[in-house]
Amino acid sequence: MPAQENMYKPLRARVEKVIPESPAIKSFVLLPEREFAFRTGEFIELTVNGCGEAPFTPSSSPLEKKKIEVTVMKAGYVTEKIHELQPGEVVGIRGPFGRGYPLERFYGKEVVILGGGCGFAPIRSLLYNLIAEKDKFDKVTLCYGAKTPEDCIYKPFVDELRKVEKFEVLRSVDKADEGWEEREGVVTVLLDDIKVNITNSVAVVCGPPIMMKFGTFKLLEMGYPEHDIFLSMEKNMSCGLGKCGHCMMGKYYVCKDGPVFTYEEIKDQPDIWK
Amino acid sequence: MNEVLQITRANWNLFLDSLLTEMDIYVPVDNGYSIEYEIYASNLEGVVYNRPVPVSPLKSFFLPVKENVVIHRKIHNKRLIIGVPSCDLAGLALLDEIYLGEPFVDSAYRENRDQTVLIGTDCHEIRENCHCTSYGIEPYPESNADVTLAAIEDKMIITLKSEKGSALFDRCRRSFPVGEPGEAILKLVQQKRKETKDRLAEQNQHLPGYAATGNLIRKSGDEIWIRHSSTCVSCGACATICPTCTCFLLIDRPDFEKVRQVDACQYPGFERIAAGEDPLRQKYVRFRNRYMCKYVWKPETFKSTACTGCGRCIDCCIGSISKNKIFMEMAANS
Repeated sequence: MPAQENMYKPLRARVEKVIPESPAIKSFVLLPEREFAFRTGEFIELTVNGCGEAPFTPSSSPLEKKKIEVTVMKAGYVTEKIHELQPGEVVGIRGPFGRGYPLERFYGKEVVILGGGCGFAPIRSLLYNLIAEKDKFDKVTLCYGAKTPEDCIYKPFVDELRKVEKFEVLRSVDKADEGWEEREGVVTVLLDDIKVNITNSVAVVCGPPIMMKFGTFKLLEMGYPEHDIFLSMEKNMSCGLGKCGHCMMGKYYVCKDGPVFTYEEIKDQPDIWK
Repeated sequence: MNEVLQITRANWNLFLDSLLTEMDIYVPVDNGYSIEYEIYASNLEGVVYNRPVPVSPLKSFFLPVKENVVIHRKIHNKRLIIGVPSCDLAGLALLDEIYLGEPFVDSAYRENRDQTVLIGTDCHEIRENCHCTSYGIEPYPESNADVTLAAIEDKMIITLKSEKGSALFDRCRRSFPVGEPGEAILKLVQQKRKETKDRLAEQNQHLPGYAATGNLIRKSGDEIWIRHSSTCVSCGACATICPTCTCFLLIDRPDFEKVRQVDACQYPGFERIAAGEDPLRQKYVRFRNRYMCKYVWKPETFKSTACTGCGRCIDCCIGSISKNKIFMEMAANS
């Protein structure tokens, strides 16, 4: 549940550390002025003082209450300003907002995660949670894709994840270079490589709209039921309260009713892949 | 509640004068071109009751064009708004659902509502684009007003609808002669209501109802929207003037303050995300979006009607677009 009484008023947070992840992506470790709890998949609004705010799903573990980490791709005005932030500067955070991943629906199952580009951010938070509760899941397979090897983010985390029992990581890049030893091609090719018992599995998808679209279609083709495909629908969430209307996707306010939806819930809403 | 009182128009004006020191009073004034809420003062000319509709929708009192929602500046005076038509009161029901709905109660909106007493009025006239009854809304206040008012000849017939309204008129009773209306005048009130309803029914006989319009929109293809949006200039006037359009933009100010400013899905870029994707990039899609929102999506989520038939969006459109003509065309071709 939200921490603030006035949900428009940001909580101050100090930038503790800036981590370059790729040429266009940086992670920011933030120290909120008081403890900040969230469920994995819920999102926050990050305010650059006097400049603007933008929605991000934390990429850190929801079990950590004192620090919060967001991973930001430089893609517009506010994200450019965020990329200019230096350690010690103060930002604002509002939230957490929305409906995150329903972990209890994953218990006892194989979890297949399809991620692309900066869409790894919410997934990393989910993975921290899955690691912490790994006894409750059969197996977790991460299929991650990026444009080039240097666009692959969270390299140290991936190395650690590969050592965790029950967790498997497959990666692909659209365009490989000489040093790349994993798959080449769009991320959905990785789904051809995995062995999964679909009748006892759920799939999670997070990434750019085009990848979400074709990833979902591929999962449907593989036989996943519509209610077992969980999508992170990141839209133009602004107020976070289901009031301002900027993130409407048909009858849903993504900020309040999402951002995590099953494909079954949203398949009949308009323009879901834009 | 629902006690009915009668006071002469002269005493009504004196009563309003007596309230001036403690509250801001807004009344509908005919300025020769349109009707608009004006701040009341003694001997103010042009005050008209029971005529539809003030240019500004009621929402502008509760969702100002700009409002700081982090440091909310309190309204010093209480407000009394007189002459609210039933279409706007019905629109307020949707605003209340959105802004006062749990778990996120909007405190600035809450305060604006609490500080205000609303006097709704029967409509004794209709305008060419009025169509409230087509959407199940009577042309007289049924809910959300603290008091309702019908001006008949030189008498004001007042019905108390809430505790806030009763408290206001307890004071009136202490200072001015207030009586009970006779049967004849109450009959006249009912007669005027019926006349207004009959006129609206005749004017809108070919207009499909609210739910039927939703079904027509659901089934409509792209062509009708492309054709009718050809004269739309994306000015957003339809949404600004609409009593139920409530979308807003949060603007950042120094010291982490935020200002809520009215916004509209008709403006290019309303749903655009950082990487450039924009579900509402095309004008006809934005144009259709507003009607999808009002007739298809909102009814799936909210109890209150999302178009209350005030007709302002048709009055104000500089592209001469009439949604009613579009819906009648859809109905005729269905």
